[in-house]
Amino acid sequence: MNWTNRGDDNAELDALFRAYRDACPDPEVSASFMPELWRRIEERQRSVFFLGRWARTLVTAAAVLSLAMAAYLYIPHGRRSVFAVESYVEALAAGHAQDASDLPEPVLDEL
Amino acid sequence: MLVDFEIITRAQAGDAPAFNEIVLAYRKRTLGTIARLISRPEDVEDVGQEVFLRLYFSLDQLRTAEVFEPWLYRLTVNAAYDYLRKQRRRMESRMSDLSEQQVVLADAMAGGRVDHDYRQRQQITEAVDAMLSAVSEADRILLTLKEVEGLSLKELEKIYRVKENALKVRLFRARQRVLKAFGEAGREPSAKGAAEGRDIAV
Repeated sequence: MNWTNRGDDNAELDALFRAYRDACPDPEVSASFMPELWRRIEERQRSVFFLGRWARTLVTAAAVLSLAMAAYLYIPHGRRSVFAVESYVEALAAGHAQDASDLPEPVLDEL
Repeated sequence: MLVDFEIITRAQAGDAPAFNEIVLAYRKRTLGTIARLISRPEDVEDVGQEVFLRLYFSLDQLRTAEVFEPWLYRLTVNAAYDYLRKQRRRMESRMSDLSEQQVVLADAMAGGRVDHDYRQRQQITEAVDAMLSAVSEADRILLTLKEVEGLSLKELEKIYRVKENALKVRLFRARQRVLKAFGEAGREPSAKGAAEGRDIAV
């Protein structure tokens, strides 16, 4: 395509766009436009409201569950775990005591 | 501005009658823009309602009433863009899709009830639609706003929030792509017919 043709095409394109503008005037608005718009607005508001309520319920439930778990972990229970209260050294000593009971008593030779 | 700033401010505060007033003032113009952007008359009101729905829920984000019109244009462009993308997906899955208007026109033409002017307008619309469907949705919308709606670069700058030079480049490229499609369509008899009909319609 040479420059003259391109210039012609540009002019034709401009004219076609103008013709398109004239061929597509602003449409007439139907009588149901406003009622339908408000119906959609109210529907969206309702769904936003329910979503918000559901989110609040979920947050409340999560908070209650967290508090319950914290309380469960904090309150001391009747049967205490050996692993939870003993230090490493105490556990090691207890292990050695058990080992020592299995060994024979040393015999002292009387000279 | 088709409404006073005060009405926009009232609508921002949740005043329903004020919002109604805004819709009544802008709906015809907005629907006209949408009609030229999407080219499917039966879906224009649906997209228009989506625009005003988005406006209703985003009015509180509008900082100043002065930027209301570019804001509304941006909502219109976004809604049209979403529609065109959905439509393209639908068209890919349903190739024989015809708009209601096309079906009505085909029926009427078969019955010989369509007048000459209407046929010519239809030819122009179809030629431009075919040309614009050869480019991306973004190009289509930008070109329609500039060349058909007649928006200035300053107005487009506010809508797109990009610098004038960047817009000029985008417009130039979009125009080149359309010209290419126009050149290809010009070799087809249907497009030639539309171009000839154009002189009468203008």
